[in-house]
Amino acid sequence: MGLLDKLSGWLGLKKKEVNVLCLGLDNSGKTTIINQLKPANAQAQDIVPTIGFNIEKFKNSSLSFTVFDMSGQSRYRNLWEHYYKESHAIIFVIDSGDKLRMVVAKEELDTLLSHEDIRGRKMPVLFYANKMDLRDAVSSVKVSQMLCLENIRDKPWHICASNAIRGEGLQEGLDWLQEQIAQ
Amino acid sequence: MSESSGNGGKWLDAHYDPVAGLFTFSPCVDLADLSGDGESRLVVGDLGSGSTGMKLKVFRGTALLSESTLLDLPAGLVAFFMDLHEPRIPAVAVASGPCVYVYKNLRPYFKFTLPGLEVNSLEQDVWQQAREGQIDPLTLKEMLESIRKKADVPLSMRSLRFLSLETDDMDDFVQLHKQQPIRRQTVITCIGTLKKSTADDDGVSCLVIGTESSDVYVLDPEAFVILSKMSLPAAPTMMDVTGQFDVEFRITVACRDGNIYVLRRELDKPKYCIKLSSHPVGLVRVGKNVMVGCTDESLQGFTQKGKKLWRTVLAAPITTMAAMDLPTRGFQAVLVGLANCEVQLYRDKNLLSTIKTPDVVTSICFGRYGREDGTLIMTTKGGGLMVKILKRTAVFDDRDGAPGPPLAQSVRLNVPKKTKLYVDQTLRERENGLAMHRAFQMDLSRMRLTAAKAYVKALESSLAPVSSSISEPLKMNAVVQGLGPSFKLTLNVQNTAACRPATNLAISFLYDEGLYRMRNPYMRIPLLVPGLVYPVETSVECTSDKGISDIIKVFVLHEGRSCPLLTAHINMPVSEGEMLN
Ligand SMILES: Nc1nc2c(ncn2[C@@H]2O[C@H](COP(=O)(O)OP(=O)(O)OP(=O)(O)O)[C@@H](O)[C@H]2O)c(=O)[nH]1
Ligand SMILES: [Mg+2]
Repeated sequence: MGLLDKLSGWLGLKKKEVNVLCLGLDNSGKTTIINQLKPANAQAQDIVPTIGFNIEKFKNSSLSFTVFDMSGQSRYRNLWEHYYKESHAIIFVIDSGDKLRMVVAKEELDTLLSHEDIRGRKMPVLFYANKMDLRDAVSSVKVSQMLCLENIRDKPWHICASNAIRGEGLQEGLDWLQEQIAQ
Repeated sequence: MSESSGNGGKWLDAHYDPVAGLFTFSPCVDLADLSGDGESRLVVGDLGSGSTGMKLKVFRGTALLSESTLLDLPAGLVAFFMDLHEPRIPAVAVASGPCVYVYKNLRPYFKFTLPGLEVNSLEQDVWQQAREGQIDPLTLKEMLESIRKKADVPLSMRSLRFLSLETDDMDDFVQLHKQQPIRRQTVITCIGTLKKSTADDDGVSCLVIGTESSDVYVLDPEAFVILSKMSLPAAPTMMDVTGQFDVEFRITVACRDGNIYVLRRELDKPKYCIKLSSHPVGLVRVGKNVMVGCTDESLQGFTQKGKKLWRTVLAAPITTMAAMDLPTRGFQAVLVGLANCEVQLYRDKNLLSTIKTPDVVTSICFGRYGREDGTLIMTTKGGGLMVKILKRTAVFDDRDGAPGPPLAQSVRLNVPKKTKLYVDQTLRERENGLAMHRAFQMDLSRMRLTAAKAYVKALESSLAPVSSSISEPLKMNAVVQGLGPSFKLTLNVQNTAACRPATNLAISFLYDEGLYRMRNPYMRIPLLVPGLVYPVETSVECTSDKGISDIIKVFVLHEGRSCPLLTAHINMPVSEGEMLN
């Protein structure tokens, strides 16, 4: 980044560009979350399972986000790793109601964190324990236990419970992410 | 939840509840999207304690979603599409006793009862008389007994029950039942599904049921009428169905006579028969082949026409078997539950991987559960429920532990070109084959004759080092030690008789006196106890320094007999001692 860019960044003239990778198993609510983060007039009404991936851009006061909404279906999960290099932050979405597949989510997270393009980097990881509204959902504390998040030592991470359909809990996570990126 | 070492690194432990209270076997377990939301549920026919607590249970994820009581012990359970209504939600058919109970949206929907079997007319007459009061229960019993003994049509359940009663209870029983018509029912032993006319995953399917009366019925999915009836030589126990009813189908049935029969469309008798050496306990089709697990702890592969392909021996008796079919990865194999708390995965005869389980597995079901395609569901002897998910990155290697031919075997050898000489020889051999064979046979016979002659001569003149005479069976060998000019000669003499000792024996030597000098060329042998080896030693001096050697002949003699018992020729070595000087 050139001096001029930095200057304009400080002055708030040009917004800082951030690539965010949104990952998680299929049906965890990634697309629903990203849809909620978009301005009200740009939101889609019905959400279908993502094929491959979608790219969404949106801005807030200081940052300009490019979000890669990846498909979580197992046959597309091998696409994830091609975007690790360019990304600055990761949002990992978990369906708190799907206890059976918590092991699969953990397996994918472990594979992700040990990938050579992610391993040594100090990029922030935001976890959404989504679908908190479901009757049999487990708490975000339990989710972080099941995924052994306490073992992540080289990266800043944060978990928050969310309900993507009503948009609850999303802003808290985003604020944390913004803070991390600004540092 | 962490990965356990017993999975060979291929499976994730998604769930294990050792006290789920599920007692079932593979035919009573199925996976189906019962609510049409893309999430498959686990449907289980729970046998309970065997007499009470039979239930139809549905699981979603790790939780029990619903359960409903079953009236009778389930023999099998299948989920199938019975109509074309949207949303596409499958029905569940539970076979128990003579009935198939069909559930839709988990509510009882229809009950199909197998047609009654032919009733013995004599039996019917006898009950008719009982109803009219012409005979008393004791006479009824006598007459039924005699019918049971000779009739070719067996008695109905009612008569059999009656015959087992005490005299006091008979009257009440007759009063209670005499008005009802007699019926004879068979029971269902196995159930399967057969696509009606399309091969689509959500195509409408017919039910296929096997009965104790050795029949196989195909039922129409909408009207529940019998579309086809086929007969087997014995009662079926396990069944695999493929194809479409309207096009072509194949029903592979394992029967209680230890054979496997293959039924085809438009034939009411089996087309092929596979005879097994021991009873089948598991039957799984993989592609076009059938894999059969037998009670002799073996797994065998057959083509669909019944040709045996291979057989492997397993480490323990088989408890259950199921297919592992993963169409998204084009992977097909068979899972075999063993009594030693292992579940083994076989592709053909190759063992791909082994899963260790905390308890003996009694049922296995592989398929889509929840949103995960590769889910393995197992229930255990103690009533536990175990769910494992195949890792996305898992690959199964055929060479995994299974010893096969070494790779080098398939490397082509660099065989040199045929030379002209080789070709000529081949031609010659081809043309004169007969003559060459004759010449060879002739020479062979001659050689045999020469050998036999020499042997006879040796025996006659006792030239052999083994004496075959019945009175003195002896054996001898000789060892020469030393470099010369003095040698040590050791003769090991053994009496080979069973118990008789040999007496009055002597040894003498015959040699060229110009060459050798011997200390005592005549020795007496002590009494020879049977079995022991007696070393007799003497020394020989070579008197010549010309570097020549000769033969020394040894005779074992019996006192008072002129013919020696044994003869041995010792080839003396050249004396090196003189030459060294
Ligand atoms: N009850 C509830 N449902 C949710 C929530 N978030 C998302 N869903 C539902 O979950 C389903 C899947 O949401 P998606 O956003 O398509 O999931 P995804 O992670 O993008 O899935 P893929 O694109 O297949 O990877 C949709 O039917 C959503 O309506 C939530 O917080 N609560
Ligand atoms: Mg999506």
